[in-house]
Amino acid sequence: MNFFTWVYIFLFFFGIFFLTIFMFLHYRNRYRLFSSPAFTKHYSVSFLVPAYNEQNSLVETIEAIVNIDYPTDKKEIIIINDGSKDNTKEIALELVKKYSNVKLLDKTNSGKANSLNEALKKATGELIAVVDADSYPQKDALLKMIGHFDDSSVGAVTSRVLVKNKPNWLGKFQVMDYSIIAWTRKLLDFVDSVYVTNGPLSMYRTALVKKLGGFDPKNLTEDIEITWHILSEGYKTRMSYDAIVYTTVPEDFKTWVKQRVRWNLGGLQTVQKYGWAMFQKGAFGHFVIPYVTASFIFAIIGFILFFRYIWIKGSYNFFSWYYSLQGYPFWRYFDYTVSFTLLLFLGICFFVLAIWYYNLGFRNSETGNKSVIKIVAYSFFYRSLYVIPLIIAIYKLARGDIRWYTK
Amino acid sequence: MVYKIMNSRFRIFLESAIISMLILIIGFSFGLYVESNRNDKIIENYKNYEIQALDLKLQNYYYQIMDSSSCKQAIEQNFQFAEDIYLTGLELEKFEELNQITDELLREKKRYSLLKTELWLNTLLLKKKCDASFDTIAYLYAGDPTNSRIVAEQKIISNVLKDLKKEKGNLLVLLPVAGDLGLNAVELQKRVHNVTRLPVIIINEEIVLEGFNSIDEIKKYLRF
Repeated sequence: MNFFTWVYIFLFFFGIFFLTIFMFLHYRNRYRLFSSPAFTKHYSVSFLVPAYNEQNSLVETIEAIVNIDYPTDKKEIIIINDGSKDNTKEIALELVKKYSNVKLLDKTNSGKANSLNEALKKATGELIAVVDADSYPQKDALLKMIGHFDDSSVGAVTSRVLVKNKPNWLGKFQVMDYSIIAWTRKLLDFVDSVYVTNGPLSMYRTALVKKLGGFDPKNLTEDIEITWHILSEGYKTRMSYDAIVYTTVPEDFKTWVKQRVRWNLGGLQTVQKYGWAMFQKGAFGHFVIPYVTASFIFAIIGFILFFRYIWIKGSYNFFSWYYSLQGYPFWRYFDYTVSFTLLLFLGICFFVLAIWYYNLGFRNSETGNKSVIKIVAYSFFYRSLYVIPLIIAIYKLARGDIRWYTK
Repeated sequence: MVYKIMNSRFRIFLESAIISMLILIIGFSFGLYVESNRNDKIIENYKNYEIQALDLKLQNYYYQIMDSSSCKQAIEQNFQFAEDIYLTGLELEKFEELNQITDELLREKKRYSLLKTELWLNTLLLKKKCDASFDTIAYLYAGDPTNSRIVAEQKIISNVLKDLKKEKGNLLVLLPVAGDLGLNAVELQKRVHNVTRLPVIIINEEIVLEGFNSIDEIKKYLRF
């Protein structure tokens, strides 16, 4: 058996393994997907809203937070203007005038993590809720999340992010993507493995975040980093699947790539930082770190195999164009025969499981049932695009070129 | 430890690992079964061809010693044998591409190359003795090409020769032989015809054409 056959077997095996885990998690917990613990205590909550050039969305975000079902006297809203160059500051000042529990923290530009850390010093709530300035929590989101904090081992709770804008094919694919991401995250919750508390809406114990030294300003995805930090300290992170926040997603491919490069860079930085905890006690060491690390490695191997395939087929076609021009094509119809092979079998198993898994994900999300064609397009086309930002991120990480890429 | 895991909600990991292993084992078992069936088919065919080849060889001896009154029958049998062995050769190539677990076909490939070389020599004898009205094309190709240019070239040549064979039918004996398996009989043929690179086609043991040639170019050297 040649080397590449072994690599394919390795990939398919682990692909099937992870998909089987998710299928088990779904079928064993399907009746608990949408349930959250009832809240018993009105914790005081400080909403931290870091904003950099968010003049178009800030008002709607703050109004969504103001309108959240929760006693006004228990809510504090801090807008952090991170040296915006547009009218964010002026708009924030208007909001401060309009709502008594809204405060403005104006500072020079130093990034999201620093902004959150500055606000953390001023926050008075027992809990902090981080809300991106282009995201809009549903009215009942907080009530669906807060009950988790009755368990003292829970350090953070995150929500389900859905897409607000979907003007084109990219937006439509992102709707599907966010649904699958959220659903997968919820399934991971059942084995204490929520490894991202997303930026659009996540809640943390204020004292815990302060004890951990706040958000890491060197990391491009402070939301992943803080989650791993909390998990590494032995705390649990939870996800409320019925707590919904809408967010604005990139509308063009270039911005999408920039955003995903940042996610990948931050993810890689985090894996680097917490690699020491690999295989240490608990779900974090035994599952989260190996799973996320494996995801990166498998994506890279997948890219190499894909590139190798394209290279081989491309070079055959390149060398045969001369003959094709003379009427002797390299490929002919009916030249192909499909016969049983080990890789074909594993590939079919993986493909069927993946389609089944995505289908379950869509059925349990706001998108509802999707046709097989759409699922196939999502898995084969859109998910393949993931590798572009990953490769750019690895290249940037290797060069030490790490900075905020989205704005 | 296993007992502890099986009694916790983390047993999902163990169960998933077992299911994934089962899928892998089923894949391997089926793969081995299908591949060994394919190999058996090739080996079984070879045994039959070996008998046919010996039969043809003995017939040739007979015609050389005795007379040429039954040449027609010998030519027909030679054609039938060439056709069968050509088709099995194609099947063998296909199986070789499909096999992922076992690596037994190299030996069979060598055997078939020798059988085809034997057929080639047999055809030469038949041509001389019987004054037969057909052409022979021996196609010597690289059995395990690593160069993409050669892969592309061989694929095109193979297609061209397939088309030619279809067109000419029993007026052409086509003998594709892997020329780089280190077989002395094949090396001898290469030396005789001054073959220094693969792929080449040798038409009627006279004309040696290197690389790709169009159907029309090849036809120029055919007699029938």
